Amino acid sequence: MTQPEVSAGPSGPPNALTRATNNFLAAIVASSDDAIISKDLNGIICSWNEGARRIFGYESEEIIGQSILRLIPPDLQHEEDFILGRIRAGERVDHFETTRMRKDGERFPISVTVSPIKDDTGKVVGASKIARDISERRHEEESLYRLAAIVDSADDAIISKDLNGIIQTWNKGAQRLFGYEPEEIIGQSILRLIPEDLRHEEDEILRKLRASEKIEHHETTRVGKNGDLREVSITISPILNRNGQVIGASKIARDVSDRKKVEQLAIEVEKIATTGRMAAAIAHEINNPLASVLNLIYLSRQEGVSREEIQAFLATAETELERVSHIARQTLGYYRDTGAPAEAYLHDLIENVLCVYRNKMLAHGIELEATFNDLRRISVRSGEIVQVFSNVISNAIDAMPQGGKLCISTAQTVITGRESLRVIVSDTGHGIRREHVSRVFEPFFTTKGNLGTGIGLWVARQLVVRHGGQISISSSTEPGDSGTLVTIDLPFGRQEGEAIQAEAPESGKEN
Amino acid sequence: MAFPGAMIQFADSFSGGRSDPLRSAGEAENVSARLPRVLVVDDERLLADTTAAILRRSGFHAKTAYDGFSALEMTANFHPDYLLTDIMMPGMNGVELAIAITKMYPSAKILLFSGQAGIADILEQSRAQGYEFPLLAKPVHPLKLVEGIRNLGNR
Repeated sequence: MTQPEVSAGPSGPPNALTRATNNFLAAIVASSDDAIISKDLNGIICSWNEGARRIFGYESEEIIGQSILRLIPPDLQHEEDFILGRIRAGERVDHFETTRMRKDGERFPISVTVSPIKDDTGKVVGASKIARDISERRHEEESLYRLAAIVDSADDAIISKDLNGIIQTWNKGAQRLFGYEPEEIIGQSILRLIPEDLRHEEDEILRKLRASEKIEHHETTRVGKNGDLREVSITISPILNRNGQVIGASKIARDVSDRKKVEQLAIEVEKIATTGRMAAAIAHEINNPLASVLNLIYLSRQEGVSREEIQAFLATAETELERVSHIARQTLGYYRDTGAPAEAYLHDLIENVLCVYRNKMLAHGIELEATFNDLRRISVRSGEIVQVFSNVISNAIDAMPQGGKLCISTAQTVITGRESLRVIVSDTGHGIRREHVSRVFEPFFTTKGNLGTGIGLWVARQLVVRHGGQISISSSTEPGDSGTLVTIDLPFGRQEGEAIQAEAPESGKEN
Repeated sequence: MAFPGAMIQFADSFSGGRSDPLRSAGEAENVSARLPRVLVVDDERLLADTTAAILRRSGFHAKTAYDGFSALEMTANFHPDYLLTDIMMPGMNGVELAIAITKMYPSAKILLFSGQAGIADILEQSRAQGYEFPLLAKPVHPLKLVEGIRNLGNR
């Protein structure tokens, strides 16, 4: 850069042009936001513009003729020697950032440019000083640095992208979560992070962003550099410019893989607990008749038993074995469940559960009233649905230790436009206290002390939601009218529709 | 389900008249007076009846009860030397019955008989009260059962 030399005025004898130029320069100096000050080589202030008054607080009358040192904090006055040294040598000091003092003693950051003023002969006679108050800029810079430090030290991935989905910024958390260095991913499409089968999510996200909507805690799956899938919870907010226009989006992604793993583990544990409960009931139902059959065969083989007696023993043994087979068919079948949804009558699944608990209900004097009106099959993972009803029905039985009535009904209904089956399981048990009702779906909440795992209903809800359904509970502890009512809605064939959607493009490509 | 009902019908026919095959041996009082007495308690009536029949054939004087309370009532006239009882029964469970009978007849020998997991809590409670009873798991071969009861007598 060439350094234009500033002199006291245009050279040559005054004429109309030079007078106009002088007026022009004076107008610029007067209207400048920056402080423009001139001083002689002894540091005595010779001129003082409006900007200087605003920034330093001195009126021109009180400061002209004073030393420039009035503006410099005592501990920085050595700077003036350095500046004057440079000026005497005819050099300029450019954008020197330092601290100066206002009239009221307040210190503030400033950027100063000092240039020598030469007379017609080229001799340095003074200096012009242009000073800009940079406290505002400093403040902004500091908050930027602070924000940058916060963004970088966050555990979460924080990413910004423009409205075309091109990644603009990438913090350390993003680097840790997805494995990409900033250099390799900035400028790339956000789609690199989205698994192929979830790319449609991005259209929906962009649509919401353009409408200035925020997306909060959306749980989904993203893919890292090495192809690993990550369970994440993402929050996306639009970035607006000064005029309120959406220019991009900030995206905060939190790795919830660990939490998901713990949840999955809890579901597995509950599956084992349910299996254990059912196995205990099944064992009772099977071992008793088997013991009777052993006894009957033993008796048949004894001496002195008539042919008629043997006939009676064996016929009884046969009946007992049929009882065992019936229970085995009804209950053990579900352990073979492969987890794939299949068409089934819901009342069959409920009957299977009732079969297991029938003896317990008899023992506790519980009357059963079942009304099944589900005339259509429903597409479900039967193992999971058996687990849901096993949990709900065994809760109902546990609530009626002194006997009562268990009512189960199924009927077709329409929930938010989808054809569904509604199952209502109600008991006349002791009920759930008002303050507990809202918590029954929380994991590890139990009213059964050591006997409950506290995750039965929580898992039931997970499994119902997984089927696209919903479960709700209401209860009364009113003496004489107590009881609990559980409502479960399951849509018909949601799984079917999904499977078709997911498979159709695949088969299309292959053909 | 039709099965529990059907089962009880069969059991009732066995415990009926003189021709009852399960009651035919060892019922005469003059004989039974000298025989060791067993009280068999199970809410599964067929199992209680057939077990008692086998014990009678093996030299015991056996009677049956189908729940804990009637078993206790029965001991007023029938002081058992042995109690063979199921654990999970409605009303009074087998361990409660065993403890009550031990208190009334300290010389009575007890054998628990269960076909179910999930009785750990009940056994734990009895242990906490200072009672521990031998336990046989259902199903068991009748000869093993008889042997189990005879072994109790040899202790």
